[in-house]
Amino acid sequence: MKTYKIISLAVLTIMVTIGTNAQNLPSGQSIAKKTHERNEGISMKRKLTMELKDKRGKIRIRETISLRKYYGKEKRLAIFYETPRSVQGTAFLTFDYPEPSVDDDQWLYMPALRKTRRISAANRGDYFLGTDLTYEDIKLETRISLDDYNYKTLGKETIEGQACFIVEGTPVSEEIAKELGYGKVKFWVDAKIWMLRKAESWDVAKNHLKTIQIKDVKEVQGIWTYHKIVVKNHKTGHETIFLNSDIDYKTNISDDTFTKESLINGL
Amino acid sequence: MFKTYPLVIIFLFLCLKSISQEDKQKFKDAFKASLVTVTDFSYEFKGDKMQKSEIILKPKFTYRINNISKLVFIGQVYSELNDNLEPGKSKDHTVSKWSRRLFIGDRTNLELRELYYQTKIGGNFRIMLGKQQIVWGETDGLKLLDVVNPQNFREFILDGFEDSRIPLWSLKSEFDLDDIAVQLVWIPDNTYHIIPNFDAPYFTSSLFPKPPEGVSTIFGQVDRPTRFLKDSDAGIKLSTFRSGWDISINYFYYYEDLPAFYNRLDLGSPSGPSLIIEPEYERQHLIGGTFNKVLGSSTLRGEIAYVFDQNFITTDPNIYNGIVTSHVYKSAFGIDYIKGEHIISAQLFSNIISDRISVYNRDRFETNTSLKLSRDMMNDNLTADILWIQNYNHGDGYVRPQLSYWINSSVQLLLESTIFYGNTNQLFGQFQDRNRVSIGMKWGI
Repeated sequence: MKTYKIISLAVLTIMVTIGTNAQNLPSGQSIAKKTHERNEGISMKRKLTMELKDKRGKIRIRETISLRKYYGKEKRLAIFYETPRSVQGTAFLTFDYPEPSVDDDQWLYMPALRKTRRISAANRGDYFLGTDLTYEDIKLETRISLDDYNYKTLGKETIEGQACFIVEGTPVSEEIAKELGYGKVKFWVDAKIWMLRKAESWDVAKNHLKTIQIKDVKEVQGIWTYHKIVVKNHKTGHETIFLNSDIDYKTNISDDTFTKESLINGL
Repeated sequence: MFKTYPLVIIFLFLCLKSISQEDKQKFKDAFKASLVTVTDFSYEFKGDKMQKSEIILKPKFTYRINNISKLVFIGQVYSELNDNLEPGKSKDHTVSKWSRRLFIGDRTNLELRELYYQTKIGGNFRIMLGKQQIVWGETDGLKLLDVVNPQNFREFILDGFEDSRIPLWSLKSEFDLDDIAVQLVWIPDNTYHIIPNFDAPYFTSSLFPKPPEGVSTIFGQVDRPTRFLKDSDAGIKLSTFRSGWDISINYFYYYEDLPAFYNRLDLGSPSGPSLIIEPEYERQHLIGGTFNKVLGSSTLRGEIAYVFDQNFITTDPNIYNGIVTSHVYKSAFGIDYIKGEHIISAQLFSNIISDRISVYNRDRFETNTSLKLSRDMMNDNLTADILWIQNYNHGDGYVRPQLSYWINSSVQLLLESTIFYGNTNQLFGQFQDRNRVSIGMKWGI
């Protein structure tokens, strides 16, 4: 009898503890909001290197210069390819509008044609220029979407020594799931600096699709900045490593950098 | 031709001399060099022979003078091992002496592809001065507004425009007026299309009427405009982006890159009757515009051009010099649909001669279409595409399937075939004996 009492008390204590912890966890939506409130500076210039590795270990490396500037809540991003020589001059420009109902505007300059092509941003689940991140992933960087998922906070876990909230997201509709190419996602968000540290995603058929790890996070000019993203596609065996270097938030980026003419003329 | 190269070498030497005094590290940061090597071999089915065996070296040097200025040099060493596409030493009669290639034997030539200085003045005024390519327009495959630079037709339109377009000594300036981007171009370089000779595989015979039996053809020397200022071409482009629409309006005052082929029958010649063709470059005005707009997963794009007083060879025997002129309306409307790794791109080209004139080998209303299907695979390692261009008036056209594969970051393999079909007297059909399969490699360092 005494034993039963002790067990019952222990179970009750555990249940109360779990309940209390669940109540203490912030909602997924509030975590998503926090990731968008993080200071990213007004402008940023960086060297972005993409290492594309296929399942047989073949590596292709692309070095780019990436420039980003906020105009209020509108974000403009230009990426200029520096190497390899055969794709040098390729440039990508996007106008990222804050209103979810407004599609972004995107242009791609192809030096072989010497022409700038307008690209539809409606296919945000398409993969970005041969990498394992989608256009939507690139747009969000280390934030998580405010509108595309219903969130549930699952708990806390430590990633690379940092406490992170684990948030599970299910697309708000089948249509959104198809658009994004994800049937379920799981995010590990740094509880202190509100940066995504890790993400797992599943495709629409619920097969494990990708693991994204954000590494080497440190302050640059007072702004928390990631220096490495590793993306592993479990379906294809392909992997992309994004390396950021020479990051500068204080550089003065001229407005005419974010024009079609600038894509053609290069940096 | 011979004057240009020493000048370029002296110019580069002076640049190097002036920067050699700078700090070594600073120079290293500012100077970038690269090289692209291209090999391309084509086997011609009908002739059972190599149609093309090219080796091309393209060195590129960029020197960043400061934050707003840079100097760019792109050279080219071109070797065609079997001397087939441009047999013999090309005289480049249609090219200004400042832009001519330097031939070393029949098979190899050196070319200064681009050499320009780019800078920004006062924050809003950008200039590019030197030898360069200026590209207008939205279309692929066939050109409407992309007439600023002439073209080398040694491979008809099969060569990539990047390689076949002839860069010109010119000034391009750009500035913004509110949300309108203004581009002004001035081109004093009197260089025009390079058309293959009679003995070249891609000689465009459909342009000229065949003389009657027993009548010989005599081609006169083309009279190229040479006055520096008076014979310059000039143009303006205004472009803007509003409510999701990319719009441009273009105007160009230029010499048409293809001469008017004035022709007459000479029956009194002691050597017998002959058709005398005397080519002459003529001035033209072009006004046009472009647009594009994204609608869901598709991009609509269009290009319109109206050419004033274009010259045509006439079939009317009452016209003494064999040439008639008319205004011409040209348009192209296209749609690009992208879904995942698949791209479908379709274009409809219309060409309408406004006057009721009798023109050799074409209708007043001509329609061409193009369809391109493309698929990227293996994270863009492998791309398969097929291009089909068809003329609806004469039923001729060509199909071009292509595979490209990245071996590593720097090396790309290309495999393609080109199949022409249709009447041998028409633009595309005339090359049906030129059907070929090609294999190539591009290596960049």
